[in-house]
Amino acid sequence: MKLYKKEGNIIQILSFPNETVEKGDYLLIEDADAGKALIAQVIDVQFASIPGILEELLRSLPDGGELIQGEDFDPLEIAPHITYIQDASLLICKIRATVENESLSPSSSWLPSRSQSTIKKLPIPTLIKLAKIDGKLPIILGGTKDSSLLTIDATSLDGRLNIITGKKETGKSHLSKLLMLNLIGYKATVVVFDLNGEYISLGMTTDGKRNAYHDKIHVLTPSENFKVALKQLNLHVLLEILIHALHLPGTSAREFRRIWQSLKERDMLNMHELGETIRNWHCNQHVRDALFSRYYALVNSCFFTDNIAEAVFLEECLFKAKEQGGAIIINLRNTSPIDRQIVVEYLLAKFVELLTGCRLKAIFLFAEEAHLYLRETYWDDIVTRMRHFGIFTTFITNQPDTVRENIYRQADNIFLFNFTNEHDLEVVSRAARVDAETVKSIARDLPPHYCLGLGRVVKDFPMVIKVKALDVKTMGETRLFFKDMN
Amino acid sequence: MKIGETATGTLIAVRGANVWKQNKNYRYIRLGPFIFHITEENKKEVYNALQRAYFNSPHEQNQSSPNLLQMPTRIANLLERWLQTMLTKTINNGLILFDGSLTSGTADTPTPLMKEILETARKRRNIVLAFSKMTTLRFNGHLITDILLEHKPPYLLETAGLKTKPPIVLLGDVYVARLTKGNYAFRLDIDKQVAPKQKIGAVEKLLGNDLLSQSYPETLRLAHILCTFTANEVIAMQHFTAQAYKLKIINRPDMHKLLFGPFGKGDANA
Repeated sequence: MKLYKKEGNIIQILSFPNETVEKGDYLLIEDADAGKALIAQVIDVQFASIPGILEELLRSLPDGGELIQGEDFDPLEIAPHITYIQDASLLICKIRATVENESLSPSSSWLPSRSQSTIKKLPIPTLIKLAKIDGKLPIILGGTKDSSLLTIDATSLDGRLNIITGKKETGKSHLSKLLMLNLIGYKATVVVFDLNGEYISLGMTTDGKRNAYHDKIHVLTPSENFKVALKQLNLHVLLEILIHALHLPGTSAREFRRIWQSLKERDMLNMHELGETIRNWHCNQHVRDALFSRYYALVNSCFFTDNIAEAVFLEECLFKAKEQGGAIIINLRNTSPIDRQIVVEYLLAKFVELLTGCRLKAIFLFAEEAHLYLRETYWDDIVTRMRHFGIFTTFITNQPDTVRENIYRQADNIFLFNFTNEHDLEVVSRAARVDAETVKSIARDLPPHYCLGLGRVVKDFPMVIKVKALDVKTMGETRLFFKDMN
Repeated sequence: MKIGETATGTLIAVRGANVWKQNKNYRYIRLGPFIFHITEENKKEVYNALQRAYFNSPHEQNQSSPNLLQMPTRIANLLERWLQTMLTKTINNGLILFDGSLTSGTADTPTPLMKEILETARKRRNIVLAFSKMTTLRFNGHLITDILLEHKPPYLLETAGLKTKPPIVLLGDVYVARLTKGNYAFRLDIDKQVAPKQKIGAVEKLLGNDLLSQSYPETLRLAHILCTFTANEVIAMQHFTAQAYKLKIINRPDMHKLLFGPFGKGDANA
């Protein structure tokens, strides 16, 4: 390999056919005289612009498009040299860091010698060692391009905002399950908003037996085994639900506050009494109608109960998870969009309440397709305010444009699976810790179950990862009509 | 062609090709590239050795060897003559198309050798047609190939009374051949010793058997294309010489550019 050109932090390297380099590989450009080396990542492989190549190709097809037949007597065996030159490739590389005295710096301000530099492939394990990517709390994500294991540090997810995105059936949920289970292994509290009921069997192996996580997975299905009693709620939580999920106007909300105070003073906070009080409350008829319509929405959700025995104490699950690590899976599979919002509003308000009171340490929240249940104003809230309370979110989506641009800008880690759509890649490339060229070039060619890890987890050295298989019942498979036909 | 310069001489590469049409398909044999490192010291030895090897009789042995600048052309001509000799010795009842003319008596085309080639061709009932892309022959001050008649092509315009200065000899009758529509015509030399009817018949056979584009036969066009060195082949040959013989190619400064800057035309345009 030979150094050809450098423009900004893009370096172009001439590579010959006997040197097998692919997109995503890392190269070490060593300048022995300078005592430094550049670490560059191949983001694109192009044909080298060889003079005369067009003539060479045209010459081989002069006979109406058919290859002209003939014999070459080439006593000096020049033909292999011609092929060697013709097949030379140009590696477009992004400079990632400078190595000097075995320490890394993100600088690319120096220029290695074009004639004297030696260029070789940098094995991923060496890079991992240099960048200190694996830490004290290792999570094995899978394999790298050169078949070595890629281990990240669980602390790189702590306090961070993560995004897992990619087109359908590329393995996003699989990775989120892998991260989640590893976090549980380190006694973290994990909450999953499970839109499709994919996480509910994580406590089982693929052959249906209980696995090591079985006792740590708590599945809560709203209106089935997850109900709340009004007595368990704070007024502000219910108001959040009424205003944001059920769009209760301000005047009616003020009236509801008074109704709530009245019921609380009489120690009659239950759904039946709430209905009765609204019925008999002296207020404007429109306000009463507004309150009644929301009341029936609450009743119809079946999420609220007057039977305290029926009400699962979310806090209990959370405290159990706090002690020994665990995941609370909120199964939103058969929940209507409005009910989903009610549940999520309740949960987020509850988490903030518990975290601000220091009753919980922190929560790793995994949110699948969050745009389907997260109200507009919560996006910023989750990534800024709630992060300070200790809610560390991982968004999982196959529609990257549903996640707002400012979320990408603040994302600490991005796990990017294959996207072929230019628009999708454009959206993801807005993330602050990513350069657009890398995202667009590498993500487009990722095979299923391979992802591009970006951000703190890989110490800003983007890496292609083959996500390892899990021995858990993942339930993420799409139900097919023709599955049993063959 | 010259592919580079070393500290002591020049690197030359030559290649030749024969193209023929067989069962409606074109086929070729391409020989080369042959690479020579020619220096002032070895040029005579190389040239004579090639002559001996190719023709077994050094027609020009007594002549002084060409200078370094002429060597690419001279060595290429040696290869061309050898290819022509071999063709005439192996083909029967064929039309043999040469690139160039049937003029002899120059350093590259010794008359005895050319006569021998044509004689061998005739013995095997072949007819040699030589197409020149360029000619210096003029009529009334105009190049003969610029004289386009009103006649509908294909046609041959026979030239008469062409005189040459010794030792130059014309071994063929010279025609202006306009074989297809379009404003292109070529000088065509046909072996003098062939009967006039056979000459015309040979051109008719060519029209019937080969593709002609802009009055030029496809076989010759392909031979040219196959011989021409592309830039990447030149790079490959430079790579080969550097790898196999550790010859270092030097880039001499362009004195025109060096002295006259943007006003220097440089070797390429000189």
